[in-house]
Amino acid sequence: MNASAPDRLLIAVGNSARGDDGLGWAFADAIAEGGRFDGEILYRYQLQVEDAELISRAGQVVFVDAWQNGDTPFQWAPCEGKPQPTYTSHRLEPPAVVHLCNELFDAAPNAYCLLIKGEQWQLGDGLSAHALQNLAQAIDFFNLQIADRA
Amino acid sequence: MGKKIIIDPVTRVEGHGRVTVHLDDHNEVSEARFHIVEFRGFERFIQGHPYWEVPALVQRLCGICPVSHHLAAAKAVDRLEGLDPEDLSPTADKIRRMLHYGQIFQSHALHFFYLAAPDLLFGLDAPVEQRNVAALAIANKELARKGILMRKFGQEIIRVIAGKRIHGIAAVPGGVYKSMTAEERDYFLDGQELPSVDQMIEWSLEVLAFIKNYHEKNAGWLDVFAAYTSGHMGLVNADGALELYHGRLRAIDAQGNITLKDVPDEYYRRYFSEGVERWTYLKFPYLTHLGRDKGWNRVGPLARINVCDYITTPLAEKERQDFKAYSGVMPNNRTMFYHWARLIELLHCAEIMRDLLHDPDILGSDLVRTGQRRSEGIGVVEAPRGTLIHHYEANERGKLTRCNLIVSTTHNNEAMNRAVREVARQSMGGHPSITDAMLNQVEVAIRAYDPCLSCATHAVGQMPLQVSLFDANGILIDERLRS
Repeated sequence: MNASAPDRLLIAVGNSARGDDGLGWAFADAIAEGGRFDGEILYRYQLQVEDAELISRAGQVVFVDAWQNGDTPFQWAPCEGKPQPTYTSHRLEPPAVVHLCNELFDAAPNAYCLLIKGEQWQLGDGLSAHALQNLAQAIDFFNLQIADRA
Repeated sequence: MGKKIIIDPVTRVEGHGRVTVHLDDHNEVSEARFHIVEFRGFERFIQGHPYWEVPALVQRLCGICPVSHHLAAAKAVDRLEGLDPEDLSPTADKIRRMLHYGQIFQSHALHFFYLAAPDLLFGLDAPVEQRNVAALAIANKELARKGILMRKFGQEIIRVIAGKRIHGIAAVPGGVYKSMTAEERDYFLDGQELPSVDQMIEWSLEVLAFIKNYHEKNAGWLDVFAAYTSGHMGLVNADGALELYHGRLRAIDAQGNITLKDVPDEYYRRYFSEGVERWTYLKFPYLTHLGRDKGWNRVGPLARINVCDYITTPLAEKERQDFKAYSGVMPNNRTMFYHWARLIELLHCAEIMRDLLHDPDILGSDLVRTGQRRSEGIGVVEAPRGTLIHHYEANERGKLTRCNLIVSTTHNNEAMNRAVREVARQSMGGHPSITDAMLNQVEVAIRAYDPCLSCATHAVGQMPLQVSLFDANGILIDERLRS
C-alpha cells in the first residue's frame, strides 16, 4: 500500500520535458525495462525534504541526475550527507537529503550519486546525441554494478 | 539623491517575483511594488483542445497546488457536460472532496513548516542560510519530523486517489476515475505504515497550540506588521459555514459589512472586473460595484476565517472561536494572522478527511454520470491560497474557444502590494542603508499570503522573482538577487 522504501531505491531526478535534464528519468526507464534491478525506482522533478524520510527506510539509495559541468560521460560516487545552506526548500541536492536523513531520522543508508553528462536543456527538446551516448555508458556501468552485487 | 531597492528573487514563495522600492531624497519610501514578471500563456494555448482534456492540462500550471486546478477545471467541465456539482454521485463528490482536503492539508503543512516557520523560529534578522526548512530541521527535530510526516499524509491521500503526488488524474467529466478500496482507506486509518488521520488531528492541534503561544509572546510585532484594512472574500456553504470545495461567494469589507452576498459561483462574471498595470503581468481583480479602489479583497485562510459564520468540524470551530476571542469580533486585517488561520484550516482538513475516511460512500462504485452538453462551464474552489475561478467555453465540436482563470494569488495582488508598501515604509523608511533583515521583512509580508506566482500568471517554463532600490531620479542603486 505504502509508497514506502524497499531495501534498495533508485531515485531518478529531472524533467523529461527539458532536453538532457531528462537523463535521470531515461536512465530509470532503461533500468526498469532491463528488469534486473531488484529495488524500487522512483521519479522526481526535484528532491525535497520529505525524501529524507523516504530514504531513511532503505538500505541503499542511488540518486541519478543529469550533470551539467562534468568532463566525463558519467560520474559514480558515494553520497555523503552534507548540509545545504540555501534560502530555498524547493530543491535539495542529494547530500542535503542524506544529511537530513541522518539528522532527523537517525538513519544512514548507503547512498550513491550517478551523474550523467548532458549538454542542452531547452523546453521541448529530447535527449541530445551526446547525452544518449553517455546514457548508454552509464546503463552498462550500472548493470555491471548490479551483476557484481548479485 | 533618492534610492530604489530591488529584491529579486523573493524567496520561499512559489514562483518568481520582484520587489522594487523607491526612496526619496530623505530615504523615505515613496513607492513600493510587487512585480510578477512571469509570462502568462495558459489561457491562450489551451484553446482548441477538447474540453475534456482540461483537468489534466491546466493542473500543469503548478507543481504545488495542481489538485486545486484539476478540481476547479473538473467542476467547470462537469458543467460543460451538463452536470452541476449536486448532480454527481455521492462517491464522486466525496472522493473529489477527499482529494481536495488532502491537497490543502499538505499545502498548508508545506507552507507553515517549510516556508513560514523559519521566520517565526529564527526571527526576521536571522542569516539567510538559516532561514530554511533544513535549518529548522536541525534546530527543532520534532517539529520538522511532524511537518514532514503531515505533508506526506496529504501527499499520500493525493497519490492514492490520483495515482501520483503531482499531476495525477482523479476527476473525469461527470465524476471520478476511481474510488478507494478498503485497503487504501485503512492505510490512512490504522497507523501501521503511515501516521493515522487521528494522529494528523492531534499534531494539528499541537501546532495550533504553538502558534497561539507564539502570538501571545510576540503580539508586539505580529499585531502591527503589514496591518491594513481590506475586504475579504471566500466561499461559504448555504448556512454560512466555511466551505472549501463548493459553495457561494461571500465578501465583506474591513468592518464586516457584506459586500458580496453568498452569490452562486457561476455568476462570478456579474460581480468581478480585473484591472491591469504596466509594471506587472498579474491583474488586479475587484468587485465591480465597489470600483478598483474599494472593491479589492484579500483571499485565502485569513479571509475565509473572516467571512464564514462558523466551521462545520468541532475542533476547528473551537479554534476559530479562540481566534476570534483573541483578535476581536471585527474582521482581522493583520497580515501575520494568515499563519494562525492557515493552521485552523489545517485542522479542519484533517477532521474532514477523518470523517470522509469513515464514510462508506468513498468505497462506492457509482463513479461517473452524464448530462446534456452545454457551451459554458464555470468551476470555483477554495484553493489553499484562496478563491480559484476556472471558466471555459467550448464549441459544438467540444473544442475550447475561451478560457479565463482568476487564481488565488491574483485576488491577493493588491493586498500583497499594500503589504510590501507598509513594510517597506516601516522597515526601510528613514534609514541611510538597507540591511538583509529589512529585505527579509518585505519577503515575510509577501510570504504570509503564500503566493503561488506560477499559478498567478499561468506561466510556462522557468520563472524568474527579484528587491531593487531606486533613487529619486529612478536610477538603480542597489539590488538583491538570491538565486
